[in-house]
Amino acid sequence: MLAFIIRRTIAMVLTLFAVSIVAFAIIQLPPGDFLTSYVASLSATGDQVDPRVIENLRNQYGLGEPFYIQYGKWISGVVQGNFGHSFEWKRPVWELIWGRLGNSILVEGLAVIVMWLVALPIGIYAAVRKYSLGDYLATIAGFIGLAVPNFFFALILMYLAYIWFGTTLGGLFSPEFETARWSLPRIWDFLTHAWAPVLVLATSGTAELIRILRANLLDELKKPYVVTARAKGLPEWKVILKYPVRLALNPLVSTIGWLLPALVSGSVIVSVVLNLPTAGPMLLRSLTTQDMYLAGAIILLLSVLTVIGTLISDVLLALIDPRIRYGAK
Amino acid sequence: MRKDHLLGLTSAVAMAAMLAATGPALSAGQAPELEALVASGDLPPLEDRLPSNPLVVQDDSIGQYGGTWRMGMNGGGDNGLIVKTVAYEGLVRYDHQWDKVIPNLAESWEVNDDATRYTFKLREGVKWSDGTPFTTEDIAFAFEMYQDPDYAAGSWIDNKNNLPSLEVIDDYNFTVVFEKPNGMFMGTIAGVDGIHITSLQKKYCSQFHPNYNENAAADAEAAGFSSWALYLQDRCAWGWETIRFANPELPTIYGWVIDQPLTANATRVTWKRNPYYWKVDAEGNQLPYIDNLDMRVSQGGVEELTLAALNGEIDFQERHIATTTNKPLFFDGQEAGGYHLGEVIPSASNTLVLQLNFNHLDPVKRELYQNKDFRIGISHAIDRQEIIDVVFTGQGEPFQVAPRPESAFYDEELAKQYTEFDPDLAAQHFEAAGLTEKNGDGIYLMSDGNPAKITVDVISALRPEWIDMLEIMQLQLGAAGIEIELNNIDRTLFYEKRPAGEFDAQVWAGDGGIEALQEPRYYFPFSDESVWAYRWAQWFNGTRPEIAEEPVDWAKEQMELYQQVRASGDPDERADLFRQVLAITKEQFPVIGVGLMPNSYSIIRNNLKNAPESMFNAWLFPTPAPMDPVTWYFE
Repeated sequence: MLAFIIRRTIAMVLTLFAVSIVAFAIIQLPPGDFLTSYVASLSATGDQVDPRVIENLRNQYGLGEPFYIQYGKWISGVVQGNFGHSFEWKRPVWELIWGRLGNSILVEGLAVIVMWLVALPIGIYAAVRKYSLGDYLATIAGFIGLAVPNFFFALILMYLAYIWFGTTLGGLFSPEFETARWSLPRIWDFLTHAWAPVLVLATSGTAELIRILRANLLDELKKPYVVTARAKGLPEWKVILKYPVRLALNPLVSTIGWLLPALVSGSVIVSVVLNLPTAGPMLLRSLTTQDMYLAGAIILLLSVLTVIGTLISDVLLALIDPRIRYGAK
Repeated sequence: MRKDHLLGLTSAVAMAAMLAATGPALSAGQAPELEALVASGDLPPLEDRLPSNPLVVQDDSIGQYGGTWRMGMNGGGDNGLIVKTVAYEGLVRYDHQWDKVIPNLAESWEVNDDATRYTFKLREGVKWSDGTPFTTEDIAFAFEMYQDPDYAAGSWIDNKNNLPSLEVIDDYNFTVVFEKPNGMFMGTIAGVDGIHITSLQKKYCSQFHPNYNENAAADAEAAGFSSWALYLQDRCAWGWETIRFANPELPTIYGWVIDQPLTANATRVTWKRNPYYWKVDAEGNQLPYIDNLDMRVSQGGVEELTLAALNGEIDFQERHIATTTNKPLFFDGQEAGGYHLGEVIPSASNTLVLQLNFNHLDPVKRELYQNKDFRIGISHAIDRQEIIDVVFTGQGEPFQVAPRPESAFYDEELAKQYTEFDPDLAAQHFEAAGLTEKNGDGIYLMSDGNPAKITVDVISALRPEWIDMLEIMQLQLGAAGIEIELNNIDRTLFYEKRPAGEFDAQVWAGDGGIEALQEPRYYFPFSDESVWAYRWAQWFNGTRPEIAEEPVDWAKEQMELYQQVRASGDPDERADLFRQVLAITKEQFPVIGVGLMPNSYSIIRNNLKNAPESMFNAWLFPTPAPMDPVTWYFE
């Protein structure tokens, strides 16, 4: 197991290196650079910027250099923990993103937990009570959650909250708690705000989880070992939860690694609509203004989360499914 | 508007009377919180904070102190909202009607006959928000910084075509000297560009410059910046740069000072009153009346702001939320939300300007696009009323790109020529332009045998209605024999394509509807925004000599006339010359407009007093700031 983890870690570093090159290249693909978009916005307001001034700035920012030199400077800084400066905010990138990333992980992590807490019991129930009224109801509810676009669901929630309760949903904190330290009242304030995005994000994945779990579990339930266990007189909940559910979880666990990046990218529009200070809107904005070190850092960190998530899912898989063993004899 | 106008006149008279009175002994009042600070000795008394001759701002009524003005910013980099709310404090400013330049930090000024020397007298005793006197030292420092090649900005102060220099007379008097006559200078600095020169405090900002601090480079490095210029920029920033509002330590001369700064992670930007603000009301009470500003920062979507406004959580706002589609919603919500709608007159003349590229690299297209008959044909082939009915729910009227009816330069013929929908007339003009053959799809063939297809670049992210309008125009022009292809692109690509010259057409809104004289981009090849004649504009400006092209004679004549406008110190003469420029525009018909930009609206909470029921909206006239928000108050 340890050897496996070490091998995987080395592969992870190489993967991240490749990802960083690709990410940096993609950010540079659109025509122009940060200064072009900066000049564009100035020019639209009637401000003329002398091209010579722009050339000066381009050199100051190191934007005139070829790709590999810009990349080299950036990545050697990243290795030392320096993610470079954001052009737009004139601040170290790291200072800008840690809070955003924290919010993202908090909100989206909660959404994952809620999604699993809702989907797992329903999935198990739907498999055990196949074609019952409950199965149909759960499935329909799940599919509606999957079919309604997230941003639309968010808009509906905002509208209903306005019509019914006269409140404006949005943000993660009330003004008085925004800059406060974490405390019980602040946690409560957070929860009164976060339920909406968590609900929106969780519903989108629930149906998928329910269907996968239901299908897998149905396969398992027919297998002889289940019949044997029942015949031996094991209580029904133990028969189902101890073995078939564990096996049915296998494909779910092996995709944990994909959850985080999928949630971050899936939550961009929700964050924009519900006004959440998460990493999504910042990534979107940094891409449109071509603030490349900021965009690069966010993409790189998402990749880090993905590979770490993959590693976690592999380890978890080995734990829940005794048939899977890596290398160790 | 009319009532407001009268009030504006009386207030101007009253102000003149105030100014004439020597050393007005005003029974000065101030905000209770400041009262307390003075009592405890933390703040000097009011008379030591106010200038000897404070600016008296007249408004409908005398207000009371207190309250928080809530509004909303869109996305992180929305410095425009701040500029247009608190940062409009130049040497001079515009009056409410946008037609007179009135005193601000400068209490008086003189111009010489050929408009090359402008001498200003600063208000004595004005102080920065940290209590330091505002003097000609600060003006000189700003001049020096803007003209520093390492800290270049791009404003009138470092305009290479007519570089100004500064002559300081004493602490309060100085002269700006131009190489060439600059008759429009007072207009320039009364607009939003005026804030550049009053934005840098020498005492604070000089510590980051190597001329004043030999350790500047080392300090910058210690703070994590690769050069002193970047550090200086981070701490002080140019006139309206976004990061200028990220540093609460930076002294300013605004009515409110930053409390929670505008940073990348800010979910709200807040302001509190500046105890050293140098304006008073008619009774001598220190302004502003409102204690705090609260700008919630949305993450780029305006849905939350819309709901907040409906819910009565926005006290005054026009920016971002006042869209055409939201208007019925806001109208219906007035009673429940406790607000009402004010009138906002846009400065843009047109909802959409179709600019054909006169400097196309393809000689066939270049010739066709420069052919006036071709453009007239297109104009007659557009059914403008249909577009106005479908996209703008009937608001607006068919209009070309021309000064608006509210402008002194309004010319009905220029505004209305070729706007009637007439396919037969269109066909006649196309024929006159040499388009006689059609292909099997009914599309005219150009002289090289290719179908007359125009690819129109558009940024729908900026104004979603552009795509709706263009799709209708696509059908209308297709029926008339001209194929339109829509090319919806990003802003950077949109701008990158201009110097290359290989685009067919681009669309934008009709800037210069009211401020025609300052923003004549569609009337002659004036700036980089004159996309229809980009290379001619380079010839005029001399900024990119490598792609500049000599314009045709009529455009050169316009440029000549506009240079005379710039050179004249007499407003009547300037107006007369500019009318000659517009006469050539009318004759040549360079760009095609669709409809008059309909009036917009503002959301005004019912308990907010002195707020304008009617105002212009523009960038050069950065509303609502010229309407004196410092005199608004809550009842």
